[in-house]
Amino acid sequence: MTQTLGARLSNSRRFLPLGATIAMFFVVYAFGVMAFPAMRDSQPFFNLLNTAPFLLIAVVGQALVIISGGIDLSVGGVIALTTVVTAALLRAEWDPAVVIVLMLLMGITIGGVMGFFITYLKVQPFIATLAGMWFARGMCYVISDAEIRIYDPTWKTLAGVKVLIPGLADPVAKTGSYITSLVVIALVVLVVGLFLAHLTRFGRTLYAMGGDSGRNEQSARLMGLPVDRTKMQVYMFNGLCSALAGLVYSIYVGSGHGSHAMGMELLVIAAVVIGGVALTGGEGYVLGAFFGVLILSLIQSLILYNGQLSSWWTSIFIGMLMLLFIGVQSVLATINARSLARSTAGGMKRPRTAPWRDRRFLAGAGAVIAAIIGITLVGPLTSSPQTTTDGDSAILTGDCAPAESRAAEAEEMQAAGAAIVYQRFGGSDCVDQLYGLYPDGRVTGVDGTQTVEAQVEPSAVADLVTNLEGLGWFTDEMYTTWHHPCAECYTYEITVTSGDQTKTVGAVDGGTDAPAKYWLVKTRISALLPETNGAP
Amino acid sequence: MSAVARSLKSSLGDSRLLLPLAVLGLIFLFDLIFIPGFFDTEIRQGHLYGSLIDILRNSAPIILLAIGMTVVIATGGVDLSVGAVMAISASVAAILIDPRKVGLTLSGDITAVVGDPTYSFMPLPVVIVAAMLAALACGVWNGALVAYVRIQPMVATLILMIAGRGIAQLATNSIKINIFNDAFSFLGNGFVLMLPLSIFLVLGIFIGSWLLLRRTALGLFVESVGISSRASLFAGINEQRVKLFAYVFCALCAGIAGLVAVSSIKTSDANVIGLYTELDAILAVVIGGTVLGAGGRFSLLGSVLGALVIQATMTSMYHLGVPASAITVVKAIVVVLVIVLYSEQARDVIRRAVGRTGTRKQGASA
Repeated sequence: MTQTLGARLSNSRRFLPLGATIAMFFVVYAFGVMAFPAMRDSQPFFNLLNTAPFLLIAVVGQALVIISGGIDLSVGGVIALTTVVTAALLRAEWDPAVVIVLMLLMGITIGGVMGFFITYLKVQPFIATLAGMWFARGMCYVISDAEIRIYDPTWKTLAGVKVLIPGLADPVAKTGSYITSLVVIALVVLVVGLFLAHLTRFGRTLYAMGGDSGRNEQSARLMGLPVDRTKMQVYMFNGLCSALAGLVYSIYVGSGHGSHAMGMELLVIAAVVIGGVALTGGEGYVLGAFFGVLILSLIQSLILYNGQLSSWWTSIFIGMLMLLFIGVQSVLATINARSLARSTAGGMKRPRTAPWRDRRFLAGAGAVIAAIIGITLVGPLTSSPQTTTDGDSAILTGDCAPAESRAAEAEEMQAAGAAIVYQRFGGSDCVDQLYGLYPDGRVTGVDGTQTVEAQVEPSAVADLVTNLEGLGWFTDEMYTTWHHPCAECYTYEITVTSGDQTKTVGAVDGGTDAPAKYWLVKTRISALLPETNGAP
Repeated sequence: MSAVARSLKSSLGDSRLLLPLAVLGLIFLFDLIFIPGFFDTEIRQGHLYGSLIDILRNSAPIILLAIGMTVVIATGGVDLSVGAVMAISASVAAILIDPRKVGLTLSGDITAVVGDPTYSFMPLPVVIVAAMLAALACGVWNGALVAYVRIQPMVATLILMIAGRGIAQLATNSIKINIFNDAFSFLGNGFVLMLPLSIFLVLGIFIGSWLLLRRTALGLFVESVGISSRASLFAGINEQRVKLFAYVFCALCAGIAGLVAVSSIKTSDANVIGLYTELDAILAVVIGGTVLGAGGRFSLLGSVLGALVIQATMTSMYHLGVPASAITVVKAIVVVLVIVLYSEQARDVIRRAVGRTGTRKQGASA
């Protein structure tokens, strides 16, 4: 009786890392709902999926590879290569169905080659897949240096299809909560991954192979499991997942370029670790890795909702979360070791590091709580130097006062019908510019010292707005980056209105995190502005 | 035959240094045939110029990282965070030289010092010490996680790899900082005795680490911990402290590499400094014959040769006009070449071909 109870307990303990991940997701989500009223709607929840379909796909393959005791660094590279080859083939007007099949085959091939090196030449997975990553990234630029846009109707359709959620949407009016078609693909891949991991011999062999730094692989081999074949298969499956993620990525961003999915392999591995899969292999669940992605998405959206935190906080939070989940895992390992020691006759000595492990768990939990408190506190704290001029004036003791954003005036211009409102301020020469471009070709504003009026061709303004829309102004590709006041760089705030859409995006020119296309936008707008006050 | 020459010959014979030397030789042979004038070296304004000098100078950061990485890999671990540590130490140095960029409050006339080649907010020794302290803190963090908290090295250092760049961006406000200070940029661009200063710096650090690891028992401890940390513990070695040392040493090397890198390009950009260099460093160590994941025997000289192989490949490709972004394909091909050369099957063939004469001579001398 006690034995079955013990077995049941240890069985449920196996699910603890998974449970911890899922619980963490809901706790953080609940916190977000309390802190940001905008998250109370149902759509923000589905947007967690909608913004990361490629991650959701890539993480399934990666989780299986890691469970088998390996690692695959080539994910980001293969995704980028797939986008580039897809875009190039579609530009050459190949049939979309052929392209999709070819890309999936390419992914399987790349995975197979790496798997061959790992399985039969006994190369470290780290090194073999590193070579794969470099090869894939480099091939992108061999094919095309420039970004290739995708205009294929199939791709456009797939990008636009929304699946309404039953019960949360109005099917007649086609409004309400939705997920994109890409998320549906991701969910199918998840189901396939769960099936492979838990209901097939392939999955059983994966779990048997991983863990205990290679010794389990030896045991699996001795038990007669097809270790070599399974290893090949798991890398091929991950290649397939990466290629599929690449196709989804190309649909999501509508282009192919070698810089797409930069550093994605790290995010994928982080998601797997946060999802409770041990990097040593043999433990963890695909579902956990799936929730790991959701947690990453959640962090990103919390930072976006906060609005005051810079994008780089994301990576710091991801690091903290990883620490926490490793803490959870090792606490469980300690408990398991203890119960094992208790059941062994004579009893084993308790592991020397046990108190450390508990402390680590506390430290990890503390770190996350501090992070969550931080996310709410840092916003108001760091925004204060922006509003109080004391701090700013000390930066510049030169001959001019630093300029502030003229948000009120900008809003007036917008209300008056300006299609583009352009602000540029700050810097050591204290630039303070505000311009409005109107659909009738009128340009009004101040160059810092005097009011300016100019006239351009009305079509030029209309062309510019279309142009900016083409650059993805109203999509997720344009986002505001946030900085402390900078003494030597200019701050830009650009608002574009087209139809019923209005979006403001800000950036700082010394910063390296603003979207690259933002500077293209800035250049194109300033080409229409009157040259005054010496500043470009 | 002197003892040195014999030991050199035997160390060549056991194919530890032979393979990286062979790969390097292959690359130079390739250059000799396909790139006319690759080996031309001339004296311009009292300095030596040429592709070979370029390779030596540009490989300085990778060599430094590879030296540190060798020790970590020899203890059976790996350090993925060296690129992030480079970014952190470079950012700290850049901020202390010129804090105005990141919006710190300063007194005095700021505009007067813009572009002033002698201006530095803090004296340079303080800048360097502070950057090293930042790197040291990173090393202690990694080492503590691996040695005392017993997290798997790849995961423990992955945390800092992801978060570290974020910390560097946080510190610099994610703004590129141009460094005008001449004395600081001398570190990466200066010439001493007709050769780039960074060569001497690397040489000094290499000799220092060699003495530290080969002329004290420390190197033996490192290898012992790498082979079996449990057996080392029973033998009376404080394996936790040895591991801590390895990560701290690696982080300090990465810190110096960060300073060299930032001073040679005169711009600190937390997004770009040291990006993906951890992979280069690990590859250099693997090319050098130290086995990743297994721990144990290591070869500092092998890792230096490995770093030179990587840099020589890249420099050769630049000469051939391969665009910088596509060079990674060539790197991947070199990796595959090295993998195949190092695989047991290939080693058997090489051993049979080369070793036949070598073993006979070794047998005779023994």
